Amino acid sequence: MLSEAMAVLGKELTGELRSRVALNAIGLFALTTLTAVAYQIGPYRIAAEDRPHLLAALLWIILFFAATSGLARVFVKEEDAHTAKTLRLAARPEAVLLGKLLFNLLLLVALEVFIVPLYCVLMAYEVKGVAGLVLVLALGSLALAAVATIVAAIISRASGSGTLFAVLTVPLALPLLVILIQGTRAAAESPDVAAVWPALRAIVSLAGVTLIASAYLFPVVWHD
Amino acid sequence: MSFEGVGKRFGARTVLTGVNGVLRPGRVVVVTGPNGSGKSTLLNILSGLIRPSRGSVRYLQDEVELSRRGWLSKLGVVAPDMAVYEELSALENLRFFTRLRGSKADDVVLEGLLESVGLARREHRRPVGAYSSGMKQRVKLAQAVLHEPAVLLLDEPSSNLDEAGHTVVGALVAQFRERAAVAVATNDPRETAWGDEEIRLAV
Repeated sequence: MLSEAMAVLGKELTGELRSRVALNAIGLFALTTLTAVAYQIGPYRIAAEDRPHLLAALLWIILFFAATSGLARVFVKEEDAHTAKTLRLAARPEAVLLGKLLFNLLLLVALEVFIVPLYCVLMAYEVKGVAGLVLVLALGSLALAAVATIVAAIISRASGSGTLFAVLTVPLALPLLVILIQGTRAAAESPDVAAVWPALRAIVSLAGVTLIASAYLFPVVWHD
Repeated sequence: MSFEGVGKRFGARTVLTGVNGVLRPGRVVVVTGPNGSGKSTLLNILSGLIRPSRGSVRYLQDEVELSRRGWLSKLGVVAPDMAVYEELSALENLRFFTRLRGSKADDVVLEGLLESVGLARREHRRPVGAYSSGMKQRVKLAQAVLHEPAVLLLDEPSSNLDEAGHTVVGALVAQFRERAAVAVATNDPRETAWGDEEIRLAV
């Protein structure tokens, strides 16, 4: 199964590196919103006591909406290009889910590697607990990728799938988003990794529930 | 593969009613009928891609019913609404499906297969998106047979193909009829001539 999932991931990466559709959509959205935020708010228009939570919230707003602009494509493009049926007949559903989840996770990590340092520089965002922030970003990406991937699978055969993706993802991801902002704020305020443990535990729980539900739900969604 | 009383409704519209048949190795079944009579729907039901509204489909090997994964691994399907990946080359497509099917075929075997469906060696490493529709159809044919399927379902297999392409499909059907169950949905008189049995559908 792992070999099949790696084959799906390899196919996704090769296709994306050649077409760059999702990368361009996500990158452009993130860069535009980051520029707008940096230009209008900048590092000095927020009071010092408000900076940790406001900058954490702004960071996740940029990451979340940039991600939703590209992550749905992972299944929608299979339906649009008429390759979904070919894939359904050849691959186990679990392998398809895992391969596409890993691809979405890599997209999110690439986005964060590019945007987060830029955001910290442009907004003069001082993070005291870098290790804590990296943990929040890594586990948050996994949880967000898990939500986006299963929603993308559910909406891929519907017409108006772009709108549906946003409508379904936002309520599912909202609790996660709140926890991610709290975790990022905790990492910014304290160099101690223990400060982000409560957020990490909640993120891991949400990711776990989403992954387990996806594993049960996806074969039905994929084949029926 | 046997199917009994197969029917399909899409909303208020009935597409198929009471279709029966058996697919077994050594015999080619052709499915004919006017446009809208349900030829593609029947093949989609047989491949397990859609569920019948009525009737049943059974997949047997040595009289033992196969699991869904079991019979999917034995199917090769070509259909107008099934594509291969346009951003990958023909060879990359076959490598991908080989890995998914758990086959050990190497590049030499895959390039041989592509040549056997009439795709010149110089085309193997170009993205499929740059191919003509006939060349894409040849890659679809290669993808469908690369794992030596026990059941081959061909829906209008010669669409977009020239005369040479039609000959390639004829050769594939002749090659597989000895060891696989083959069904061809078509209205082309040259293709109906391949059949040992005919299922005629009406609107």
